[in-house]
Amino acid sequence: MNAIPQLFFDAMSLGGIYAMAALGIALIFGVMKLVNFAHGEYIAFCVFALIVPSTDAVAVMFLGKAPAFLLIPTLLLIGAAVAVASEFFVFRHMRNATPVAMMISSFALGFVIQNILLVVFSSRPKAVSLWPELNQPVSIAGASIPLLQLIVILSTLIVVVTLAVLLKRTRIGLEMRAAAENFTMARLLGVRANVVITGAFALSGALAAAVALIMVTQTGVADIRMGGQIMLVAFIATVIGGLGSLPGAVAAGFLIGAASVILQGFLPLEARPFRDAFLFTLVIVSLLLRPEGLFAPRSSKPRV
Amino acid sequence: MSKLGVFDVSVRYGKVPALTDVSFTVEEGERMFISGPNGAGKSSLLKAICGAVPTTHGRIEVDGDMLNGRSPEVIARLGLTMVPEGREIFGTLTVEENLRVGTGIRPDKPAVETDIDEVYQSFPILGERRHTNAGALSGGQQQMLAIGRGLMTNPKLMLVDEPSLGLAPNIVDQVYDTLVNLQNDRGLTLIIVEQSSARAARVGGRMVLLRGGSVVGDGDAAKFAESDLLKEAYFGQNKAEDAT
Repeated sequence: MNAIPQLFFDAMSLGGIYAMAALGIALIFGVMKLVNFAHGEYIAFCVFALIVPSTDAVAVMFLGKAPAFLLIPTLLLIGAAVAVASEFFVFRHMRNATPVAMMISSFALGFVIQNILLVVFSSRPKAVSLWPELNQPVSIAGASIPLLQLIVILSTLIVVVTLAVLLKRTRIGLEMRAAAENFTMARLLGVRANVVITGAFALSGALAAAVALIMVTQTGVADIRMGGQIMLVAFIATVIGGLGSLPGAVAAGFLIGAASVILQGFLPLEARPFRDAFLFTLVIVSLLLRPEGLFAPRSSKPRV
Repeated sequence: MSKLGVFDVSVRYGKVPALTDVSFTVEEGERMFISGPNGAGKSSLLKAICGAVPTTHGRIEVDGDMLNGRSPEVIARLGLTMVPEGREIFGTLTVEENLRVGTGIRPDKPAVETDIDEVYQSFPILGERRHTNAGALSGGQQQMLAIGRGLMTNPKLMLVDEPSLGLAPNIVDQVYDTLVNLQNDRGLTLIIVEQSSARAARVGGRMVLLRGGSVVGDGDAAKFAESDLLKEAYFGQNKAEDAT
């Protein structure tokens, strides 16, 4: 068995999940300057949308029973709908609030979603078996990896490319990029604030659904707290990437995934339980060296 | 009916008044300068007109349509465009993308392409650098881009805030030549904030003089250059009056 390709695939697939989650946060930060801490709960919500609502310990598949070609688009829509609804009911009323007030209300919204899940599904983690055949190993370049890892890497690429094309080639994409850079100026040019913000939330929610699908297939568990950990890493990725920079979020997502896998692989055995401490040390070092992020968007300040 | 009517408009930032009961009207095709010392409320006035800051009092009308309380994106649809102070171009977008941001409001989609070509004819340097990120342009080029971007919304009324800010004098000449030509070609109504009254006098047009948030003079820009009003506006008889 070959260790290097193995590490490579591990790093790419973990990084891919982080990148997608980070993109979801960066998209909304870009247009609204809101760090949406409820994003992790969108992910959990999408996971639970797969099973029948009940507090029983055994999960019964609901949407999860549908064939993939139906399940995937439906779940992406559900994710988009949750995100758009949260914008409509919560964040729309806070447009003129300070970024800190918006951030705190996103925490509040996260708690609300988590507690709704708690009431409906109970706090016990449930085993959910979605597409178990994807965990079958396949061997590539001397490495034996689960088929799912390949799919994760592939779908990350598809998501990133689709998003890039959408942002680069469509009208709404152009408006979103303009609004992300200078919202007031974009509005002065007739760009509708509501359309752009709703669009950003919809995309962000769909990304949360994609992450949910991957996580549940990989871990086989539905847990109302499952959004927290990934949200933390994704948030760090958006900060390291330079808040608001989408390429930065993707790159930093992959970087953290890679760093985490490499640390896991090369740290001495006794130090491995403290892998995250090493990881976050790297994060701190990176922020000390580049406080504005590794890939901060080029300043748009006028040249005077 | 006037192209633009500003009636008793007041703007405050918190408790600080920026404009107090400002009134004037602008006719279609007119060129008007707004001049005055720093803090006179020139930029606040433009921002109030285009909806970027709310008015606390008074009425603003374009072609008789009331603008107060409408959002900037709605006001942009009435044929009013803003070329803001400091250009505010989108630095991470290409030159051509900058030009296209404001075209979403136009019903005449086919005309957009010919208009882009026209902008490139007026500003050949923008055509050469159409696929460059706008952040890499020089200050003068960014000013051209900001004007071109405003034109792409197909406006009837264009507000230009301090186009000479931070530009070399010969570039300022170029910018004004372009603005005057554009106005003549398109029948635009132009409102330009210009701190240099000498510059305004040379370009020619009407001038409204602001001081401390109020209109203290309104007339031909060339006549202002020799009058005492200007000196008064800048240096004032009574310093205590200069609240802002």
